[in-house]
Amino acid sequence: MALSDAAVQKQIKHMMAFIDQEASEKAEEIDAKAEEEFNIEKGRLVQTQRLKIMEYYEKKEKQIEQQKKIQMSNLMNQARLKVLKARDDMIKDLLNDARERLATIAKDPNQYQTLLEGLVLQGFYQLLESRVIIRCRKEDVAMVQTAVQKNIPIYKEAVKSNIEVRIDENTFLSPDISGGVEVYNADGRIKASNTLESRLDLLAQQMMPDIRVSLFGANPNRKFTD
Amino acid sequence: MASQSQGIQQLLQAEKRAAEKVAEARKRKNRRLKQAKEEAQAEIEQYRLQREKEFKTKEAAALGSHGNSAVEVDKETVDKMGRIQGSYQQNKEAVLGNLLKMVCDIKPEIHANYRVAG
Repeated sequence: MALSDAAVQKQIKHMMAFIDQEASEKAEEIDAKAEEEFNIEKGRLVQTQRLKIMEYYEKKEKQIEQQKKIQMSNLMNQARLKVLKARDDMIKDLLNDARERLATIAKDPNQYQTLLEGLVLQGFYQLLESRVIIRCRKEDVAMVQTAVQKNIPIYKEAVKSNIEVRIDENTFLSPDISGGVEVYNADGRIKASNTLESRLDLLAQQMMPDIRVSLFGANPNRKFTD
Repeated sequence: MASQSQGIQQLLQAEKRAAEKVAEARKRKNRRLKQAKEEAQAEIEQYRLQREKEFKTKEAAALGSHGNSAVEVDKETVDKMGRIQGSYQQNKEAVLGNLLKMVCDIKPEIHANYRVAG
């Protein structure tokens, strides 16, 4: 043998120590890596889930805000509609009152006669026909006859044309209306409605903006009034 | 020869112990990684509870404020209705009179486009 037993033993001890050292280093390396991976993994998991949770709750909070806005919007809408409906109702109320008061106009014979004269002439001008038929309430025939007689010369002078007028004594306007006349051309296809009711309806329709301003004041949101 | 055999045995044992040491470290590593999941889960759950609590608070506040909003809007509406009603009562008679006056105010005119023949 090249080495003595003692030398061999020493060599073996050395080798064993080396093996142990290697193992310890390896183990330490693994432990360190484990700790590192632990932190990385934990951090990754926490971050991932945390983001999910944040997203979830942010979404829910947005939903609540949205819901709140929608509810508020609905409330405002309902309130606004309530106000608008109230105004509309008041205007309807006003127009109904106006219709009721129309009935008083015909009760004053002088006023009504003047009115009928105007209505008849207006009807003539609107049609500009050489032959016209007038319809009126049965009770108004005499007054309308007077109005017609008075207006034929006026019409002729203004239009430079003849006019032949017939009061329809077979068909009358309803006794329920407040007064006025309807004027037709010869074949009855064209009508100029000059009843008090139709005049009121036209006026109300055309003047609705003015009525609103008169009743409720100018609209602060409106910038142009032409 | 006996001493040689003994030496070899010693070396083999050392190798074995070394392998065990490394294997043990690997097991610790796996346990540690598993722990990472568990600890992460616990931390997350705590965070979730916290957010849930905050959320409930906000939700309650929002619902409460809705009630307040409704009351406020109602009050505002009543005020507005009152003003409108007052304005209507004040101006109704004048507007009504004006309308009826215009129904009776007739100014017969020939249409602007009419031309007298000859």
